[in-house]
Amino acid sequence: MRSTLVSYVLFAAMLIALAAVFLWVPTEKEMGIIQRIFYFHVPSAMSAFLAFFLVFIGSIQYLRTREEKWDRLALSAAELGVMFGLIVLITGPLWAKPVWGVYWRWEPRLTSMLITFTIYVAYLMVRDYGAQASQAPRLGAVMGILAFANVPLVYYAVDLWSADQQLHPPRNVGLEPTMEYAKWICYATFFLLLFHLVAQRMELARIESAVVRLRQKLDDA
Amino acid sequence: MSFIGRALAILRKDLQAEWRTKERLSPMVFFTLLVLLVFNFSFELGGAALREIGPGVLWSSYVFASLLGLGRSFADEHENDALDALLLAPGDHGAIYLGKMVGNLVFLLAIELLSLPFFALFFNLSLGFFLVPLLAVFVLGSACLASVGTLFAAMSNNMRLRELLLPLLLLPMILPALISCVAATKIVLANGHFTELLPHMQMLGVYAVVFTVLSLMLFEYAIEE
Repeated sequence: MRSTLVSYVLFAAMLIALAAVFLWVPTEKEMGIIQRIFYFHVPSAMSAFLAFFLVFIGSIQYLRTREEKWDRLALSAAELGVMFGLIVLITGPLWAKPVWGVYWRWEPRLTSMLITFTIYVAYLMVRDYGAQASQAPRLGAVMGILAFANVPLVYYAVDLWSADQQLHPPRNVGLEPTMEYAKWICYATFFLLLFHLVAQRMELARIESAVVRLRQKLDDA
Repeated sequence: MSFIGRALAILRKDLQAEWRTKERLSPMVFFTLLVLLVFNFSFELGGAALREIGPGVLWSSYVFASLLGLGRSFADEHENDALDALLLAPGDHGAIYLGKMVGNLVFLLAIELLSLPFFALFFNLSLGFFLVPLLAVFVLGSACLASVGTLFAAMSNNMRLRELLLPLLLLPMILPALISCVAATKIVLANGHFTELLPHMQMLGVYAVVFTVLSLMLFEYAIEE
């Protein structure tokens, strides 16, 4: 019931965000129409990092309490973080081609995102392929904590490595007011989408483990 | 026995076993040489390109070698269920991690120092004063590799497909340290100034400390059956 309500709110928010991005904001002077990808690119990046933070929280809480729900949070957030990371890594090059002239530059922010992305893909792979079902939550939690601790180090090291390659605008670049509003509408929509999907995925994981338990009970009987 | 005492006991045992058999050291040094050889043919290394890609080649071969070496660091404990006995010993399990980690650090340094003369020989590097700062880079870089590497070796030891999963776990995690190792080595070989070197060394130091401390805290959870 609650999730249906959230779905409707989310749908409305998406329509508003799309209208804001495509009808309301002015076209950027130098980059032209392609700049509108900004409203998807940047909120996706923020959502990815928010998801990785949720993995961190879920992992710590799982090791503390050993409650399955925290592991479900970590797993669901990791999957969605990887998905949003992928959106960043796809929209980034699409934006870069007309502006920088090439799809890919080993530019600090892009490189850092790629490294962070690979860390969480590895997290999912190890959980899926390596660990037995009984140990996956525990080993996943250890990885989830280490992975998040690594994020600032990745950014620091990559910045040192290629500071002269920096092509992203500085973090607090001045935006035109309507652009600023549209950005915040997009942030809100993406965060809502993230939380909604995490909740759905957690519910799915709960049902999955319930089915596994039921099947075991049937087998035992 | 104190925490440090137990860590030292593990360290002594590992080094002694390695010293007697050399079953990790000799194959690893040889493996490092083979990787250097492969890179030589892939990149035409001699001459001018050396200073540009030499440090990368050196560290790539160390990282690949360390993957094999770290994977073995808990494998021996599997025989006769020695690990279970270790875990039964009273006290904080972090001591096991610390002993193993320092053992791996010593071991990686040994590989690096033994293969460095071959690197110098193959790639016409004249030895000189740069060896001192280079040693510092090796110590910090190996500490970074050993810090996460030992924890992941313990984790992957119980996993299916462990030979495949250790690189998957370790490589992306080690990338920030690797970036700084290569950059620092490049600066040292180019006789760069100390102030250029410092931020990379700080990065390596912070990485090693952060992941050693975190691993000490998390080892308990990584190893439990």
